[in-house]
Amino acid sequence: MNQPRRPRRTTTLALTLALGSALLASACGGGGGFEEESASSAPASASGPVDLKMLFGSSGDAETDAVKAAADAWAKKTGNKVTVTVASDMNQQLAQGFASGNPPDVFYMDASQYANYAKDGSLYPYADQIEDNEDFYEPLRETFTYEGKQYCVPKDFSTLALQINTDAWQKAGLTDADVPKTWVDLTTVAKKLTTGGQVGLGLSTGIDRVGVFVVQNGGWWVNEDGTKATGSNTEVREALAYVQKNVKEGQFAFAPDLDSGWGGEAFGTGKAAMTIEGNWIKGALEKDYADVKYKTVELPEGPEGKGTLSFTVCWGVSTDSKAQAQAVDLVKSLTSVEQQLAFADAFGVIPSRQSAAEQYQQKFPEDAAFIAGADYGHGPINRPGLDQVIADINSKLENLKGANLEQVLKSFDTNAQSALEK
Amino acid sequence: MTQTPAGDSIAPLARTKATRDLTTTDVREQQVVDDGNLVNRSGRGKKIAVYTALVVFALIYIYPFVVQVSTSFKTDADAVANPLTLLPNPVTTAAFERIAQTDFPLWFFNSVLVTLIVTAGRVFLDSLAGYALARLKFRGRNAVFTTILAVLAVPGVVLLIPKFLVLNYLGMYNTYPALFVPLLADAAGVFIMKQFFESIPVSVEEAARIDGASTFRTFWSVVLPMAKPALITLTILSFQGSWNELAHFIIAADDPRLYTLTRGVGGLTAGGLGAGNQFPVSMAAALLMTIPTAMVFIAFQRYFTQGANAGAEKG
Amino acid sequence: MSTVQTAAGPSTGRAPQRAPGKGGAQRQTTAGWIFTTPVLVLLGLFLFIPILMALWVSFTDWTGRGSPFSSNVETVGTENYQALLTQEGLSRQDFMTSLRNTFYYVVGVVPTQTVLALLLAVIVNQKFLKGRTFFRTAFYFPAVVSSVAISLVFLFLFTGTGAVNQFLAVLGIDGPTWFSDARGLIHIVGDWLGLWTIDSPPSGLADTQVMSLSLWEWVSGPSVAMSAIMLQVIWTTAGTFMLMFLAALQDLPTEVEEAAMVDGANRWQRFRNVTVPHLRPTILLVITLGVIGTWQVFDQMYVMTQGGPSKTTLTPAYLSYDAAFTQKQWGEGAAMAFLLFALIFALTSLQRFVLRDKDEAATRKAARVQARAARRKGTAA
Repeated sequence: MNQPRRPRRTTTLALTLALGSALLASACGGGGGFEEESASSAPASASGPVDLKMLFGSSGDAETDAVKAAADAWAKKTGNKVTVTVASDMNQQLAQGFASGNPPDVFYMDASQYANYAKDGSLYPYADQIEDNEDFYEPLRETFTYEGKQYCVPKDFSTLALQINTDAWQKAGLTDADVPKTWVDLTTVAKKLTTGGQVGLGLSTGIDRVGVFVVQNGGWWVNEDGTKATGSNTEVREALAYVQKNVKEGQFAFAPDLDSGWGGEAFGTGKAAMTIEGNWIKGALEKDYADVKYKTVELPEGPEGKGTLSFTVCWGVSTDSKAQAQAVDLVKSLTSVEQQLAFADAFGVIPSRQSAAEQYQQKFPEDAAFIAGADYGHGPINRPGLDQVIADINSKLENLKGANLEQVLKSFDTNAQSALEK
Repeated sequence: MTQTPAGDSIAPLARTKATRDLTTTDVREQQVVDDGNLVNRSGRGKKIAVYTALVVFALIYIYPFVVQVSTSFKTDADAVANPLTLLPNPVTTAAFERIAQTDFPLWFFNSVLVTLIVTAGRVFLDSLAGYALARLKFRGRNAVFTTILAVLAVPGVVLLIPKFLVLNYLGMYNTYPALFVPLLADAAGVFIMKQFFESIPVSVEEAARIDGASTFRTFWSVVLPMAKPALITLTILSFQGSWNELAHFIIAADDPRLYTLTRGVGGLTAGGLGAGNQFPVSMAAALLMTIPTAMVFIAFQRYFTQGANAGAEKG
Repeated sequence: MSTVQTAAGPSTGRAPQRAPGKGGAQRQTTAGWIFTTPVLVLLGLFLFIPILMALWVSFTDWTGRGSPFSSNVETVGTENYQALLTQEGLSRQDFMTSLRNTFYYVVGVVPTQTVLALLLAVIVNQKFLKGRTFFRTAFYFPAVVSSVAISLVFLFLFTGTGAVNQFLAVLGIDGPTWFSDARGLIHIVGDWLGLWTIDSPPSGLADTQVMSLSLWEWVSGPSVAMSAIMLQVIWTTAGTFMLMFLAALQDLPTEVEEAAMVDGANRWQRFRNVTVPHLRPTILLVITLGVIGTWQVFDQMYVMTQGGPSKTTLTPAYLSYDAAFTQKQWGEGAAMAFLLFALIFALTSLQRFVLRDKDEAATRKAARVQARAARRKGTAA
């Protein structure tokens, strides 16, 4: 009366059916989603009007509007179309776009991520198609050069300088002569400015801020040709120790401990009398903290001289783009002198073209400190595979006050070294 | 004489013991015979404790939603300065206006579309498969069932990367089907329907089959209408599963035109708002997202609680 | 073969039925397969195939460009798994950090939500309670709402100057800036008890490295930020489990309780010796579901913290996603997904074994032995 059970045969049958039908289905549409890598270096050019996709991470409405306007102007001039998308998570959306074989044609490429994309062939090297490429500052061009080839052109740059709240400055009885010129000066001044509800110097966390002290002490995170991690060198450790000492003593503080998202917010809300930020702070202060009176001066010198950090972003064009020629044309229009000055006006970035520098200096004399930094500013680490190591040390430095510097730097070196050797 | 539940060997004993106890005066708790069941008339202390705990928990559970509603009508400054107060001062609908300027209506539309398709699809496919596994005798039935059970053992999150790879491979990435087709695969629903169909008496189907009805007709016209409770449970679970889904939508598409509510609203905190935290906007967005859920919940309350147990029994 | 049961033995008195016959059985087979094929295809396509693809990717160095099956992609053996488990480096450090964080998360959330659910169920189940439906609804509602909406609300409640901290201020406690605070709870408690100072940890703990993390980091406990998320999740999911406990409580036959009452057991003894054993299967179920659910936590991290502050809310699920989609390390991301799968599977198996009903297991084992013996003897059972 029982059904004879033959479990093994029927299990196989069921699984085969499931897998078989699935494979059949996938064979019909299979493989279509992935783009094969293109080998040619001549720009792909679509015929007829194209619709370019642009993706970028915006600092706010001002930047969004300016970029959209510039893209629309080009579109109207050439009879094409540009679809501009503002990213909420730039890194993730860019990576997902490439992984799905459907990346944007033109996009912001940050210097810290740039090497990863250059290394795996995602970027189309169009710099040799820009006639006046030499007009861009050389350190910036070098930042975007990987294995001897320049992959993109810098769209603008910024450097770090010291912002001082002039009201707090006067209240503490300080004058122009007291503007700090050395580390000792900086400590003294910060101490004088530290009152009950205000700390002398407020900083955002991470190596993108404390790195200025490292540079001023003659050190850096990797060596010149990017083959060796040098985080544990004495110069780096001494610089971090200097910051740590001041934080422990109370005249320096980090933004999260001041209930702020970044140094600019701490500065704007009056929780810090000084901060170290780049030219983007101008727009932020104007918009959100308009009643703060401040001035910007060059950072004090360290034991090894002047030093600051410079940041830059380039216009990336993807290898997978089907309209590379048009994309490069768009980039050319976005990096013209007039356009760069227009961007500078709209959201406070420094043009990356030397020919625009003079006009910019005339228009924005208060940015002299930022512009001066272009000469001695150290660019970001741009070796492939290091962005995660940097994220890791940044997360450890969020608690610089209690950190064991030797261990943190040693761990950085270990991780960075293995990443560099890949 | 009071009636006790028949056929229970304990009851007569309890009855005699109860009557005997009632005649004694030292009872620790008052035991009342009520319709044949011993009922505890609880002491006042216990009642106070229970009601206090109840009120405390009720506050903890209701307060966040009240805050959500009231904050969505506050100004940014008011929300930050007075987070605890329940009355906005001043009352403003600025947050909702700001939301209307984002792609919120598009996200809402996408969510509704996906939810409708997934719910209808799951109900149909799962009841088909559940019926087959419960009532149709075919070789390999056990294997199919085991396969489906095995699926339940795979944690959903493990499938994020794998599903992305497959969607890409099939060329479905960044399309509308990518949003709902993978969600149609639902082993738990099959299990629920199978269990329910097994509880329907076979005689009903036999009667239909004698009358010459095909298998599908038997299923569709005779058995399915009897499965209303389970169908509603499955509908509720599918609605919940697709309206509230997030991780799948992250990997299925990155085109902003395909964002659903969860994806779009979730991105509001991550810089989509521009500078700083705009709490009234995020509260208003969360509120608008929750209203459909609340409406469905209130309408089908009974079935929600059934659903929770049904979904659990599969484990 | 035919599954027809010949009507043997005593007549049932019914009119002879038209036996289904071979045609009927065939129809059932066809129908059976047609009915189940859609579900099987979907499962095959979106479950089995993905798993196989991901398994393949976890053994390669694919960076996301081009097809993972193209000839440009090299297999690297178990390199991805080694990077996560045996090689000193950032991948292992991050993976171990995520395991540590989630371990404390699971250990904190599962018992608490189980106890809370049981407590709520007992309260709501009280016979004298009026408005039971209202309270049951209130407690269950958060479980039904999207985790995104709830995360947004809790982000607001837990800001440095938010509702929670203002409430704590009334109690005289200075609340932390919850989502920026990376200090571990165990570290804080130890600091408060005077065992150590957070800022200069004892060198014995801080200098010994186990699997890329120092012992001091291992015993940190959940961070303050993680605790905020834990509170949110407990609040949300207790309702679902409350319903399960409620159903089980209402299933408890009153005669058993009455007998115990009559035997003179007081309330607490009744609860311990009658109610809890009856609830045992439900408790096991709630814990199992809790463990499976907590090890997979992802949505809250994605919406609220993205792994921060200082990577203390990093979980394997989020790290796997981030490694693949943001860092373009698809091989490692896939490897992490499988390790997580294996971990969850092992934990639930272990837990079911440890918490099994030993009597039931013994009975079932005896039945199995009997059945095996009967089969060997060749008797049709």
